[in-house]
Amino acid sequence: MEVVARCDARGRTVLPVVRASGQLAVRRTGAASVHLVATAFGPLGGDDVEIRLVVEAGARLAVHSVAAAVVLPARGESPPSRQVVRAEVAGVLHLAPEPTVVTARADHRAELHAQLSDDAELTATEQVLLGRVGEEPGRWTGTTRIERHGRPLVHTTIGLGPGAPAWLPPVAPRAYVSTVSMGGPQAEVATGVDAVRLPLPGGWVGTAWAEELHEAVTRLASVTPRPVQDLVEVAR
Amino acid sequence: MPPDHRIDDYVDPYTPEHRHGGPLRVGLGGPVGSGKTALAAALCRTLGAEYDLAVVTNDIYTTEDADFLRRNAVLPDDRIEAVQTGCCPHTAIRDDITANLDAVELLESRHPGLELVFVESGGDNLTASFSYGLVDVQVFVVDVAGGDKVPRKGGPGVTASDLLVVNKTDLAPLVGADLGVMRRDSDAVRGDKPTLLISLREDPAATEVAEWVREQVRAKALQTAS
Amino acid sequence: MTAALLTLADSRLPAGGHTHSGGVEQAIAAGLLSDPGSLAAFLRRRLATSGAVAAGLAAAACRAADAVDPVASLAALDAEADARTPSPALRAASRQQGRGLVRVGSRAWPHPAWAALPAQPHHPLALGVAAATGGLTPRDAAHAAAYLSISGPATAAQRLLAMDPITVAAVTARLAPEVDEVAGASIGGLPAATDPLLDLLAEVHTARNDRFFAS
Repeated sequence: MEVVARCDARGRTVLPVVRASGQLAVRRTGAASVHLVATAFGPLGGDDVEIRLVVEAGARLAVHSVAAAVVLPARGESPPSRQVVRAEVAGVLHLAPEPTVVTARADHRAELHAQLSDDAELTATEQVLLGRVGEEPGRWTGTTRIERHGRPLVHTTIGLGPGAPAWLPPVAPRAYVSTVSMGGPQAEVATGVDAVRLPLPGGWVGTAWAEELHEAVTRLASVTPRPVQDLVEVAR
Repeated sequence: MPPDHRIDDYVDPYTPEHRHGGPLRVGLGGPVGSGKTALAAALCRTLGAEYDLAVVTNDIYTTEDADFLRRNAVLPDDRIEAVQTGCCPHTAIRDDITANLDAVELLESRHPGLELVFVESGGDNLTASFSYGLVDVQVFVVDVAGGDKVPRKGGPGVTASDLLVVNKTDLAPLVGADLGVMRRDSDAVRGDKPTLLISLREDPAATEVAEWVREQVRAKALQTAS
Repeated sequence: MTAALLTLADSRLPAGGHTHSGGVEQAIAAGLLSDPGSLAAFLRRRLATSGAVAAGLAAAACRAADAVDPVASLAALDAEADARTPSPALRAASRQQGRGLVRVGSRAWPHPAWAALPAQPHHPLALGVAAATGGLTPRDAAHAAAYLSISGPATAAQRLLAMDPITVAAVTARLAPEVDEVAGASIGGLPAATDPLLDLLAEVHTARNDRFFAS
């Protein structure tokens, strides 16, 4: 899947490339926004999706999804499913998909690799729920690496779910949310109940966890410098 | 060892790193409540106008001592550094002095003209003493109220410190302590090393201890010059 | 060269480790650590995250000490360490311990590689250079880093909870296979495993003024 956002001669964003194949379709839903649409149930164990996003200087792009992604295991021995986002950002990118629900036995790997240029702005949110109601939790591993001119600003991998080495009682939450925001002022540290915001060079990363997604979202909001209203709306 | 052999033939010689110049580092140790912080405050007041000085505190749990020095405006904030000692105050001044060295070096870099640094230990028992990797000289502070047996009991702080201070002499009649016994026992276990019996309540300037510190600064200056 | 490795991993090496609890002091305050079972769980999550990151960085720094341009290689690793340690409190703790290790390591094993380190390097970088200058391998460096990620915190729990030292020693010793596994798996790359709980504990801890430990 690939989307390119470009700033035209009149300073407006145009999307010269919007294409997808396989398990994901992509719809233009505004001058500078697209929605991802799953073409089938899943992702399924073994699925491998790569999303390439290019936001050129002066352009803006918002990427949403139409519904929560429900990750299902393949039949029998299920291999992990994988979704990689590769973003090259010189303009403004807002990445706010609906939550990912990882069902029992499923194992999902989500990666975000972003290359920023000097004036780039990036906001990326991630919402994860392990298991549907009354179900055993699945397993989720999320990696974020953001570079500016090749210099790493943040590189973290978080593993959740049964068998993840740092997902151990008494802190083994079902719901996890995080927001990374680059290109604004560097925020100071903030801490809350099961929530923490940490400064990054030219930005911040906030993380929260809870048993329910809406609780995690509220906790994240409590340590987020400006209201993440859309995020709160999404989780309701 | 045969007479034509040298120690270097047998071992890989190690030459410790010697500090040249820099401030005189004075350790202030002793049991809880003997008056280390009060002495540090007194010395800062008395010597603050004469020397470019700073203090490192090693509180066991809180930053209480550092706060005391700040509150009493004995020194500006940027001349006081508090270190955490990981529940082991004696380790931090003797076995692994890293945190204290960091604090002293931070003060030295902040105040390039620094002449005198007091390193105050967390209140500890009678066996605690400073490593000479951290301080040039050390003062051990005990008090009369701890009982007149303390000097006789000894321990490295009492026997080996460069100066033993017996504080709170004003309390001697109240607690039934015999200052003569304390003086005699101290001299007996300390050989030529000095002992001062003082009362910070009666002499808040700590005149005699301050004079001893001046002598040490002069001695270090001579040593560095030579 | 096993003896040099023992020296590096010795808790009595005066590099300042004893003043750091690796989150244990705050975990106890938060009610997450109170007995041998919860200690073992805490040490495992620390080993699997910051231990793995430290092991990868230490092994890479050990190689970098012999690189064509050790200054550039070590500077790049220092930036990778920062990216993997977004918590300012944890960064400060790592750099403080790195500085302490440089102080003793550069005296024990004098070598030009020490000068190639940035000022106040992250601890795993100093550990990697110490391993290289002590004649050890990247594998040794990774093992020392993985082991140190739990040995210091275990001792901190012993001191803070007055826990039976034999119990603490047993808990630590039984994690040996996992320490080996984490070290072995980290040698080839630079793991980025993160535990947000440790970030939160570190930041709450550093804001306190009533604490025994620096971190």
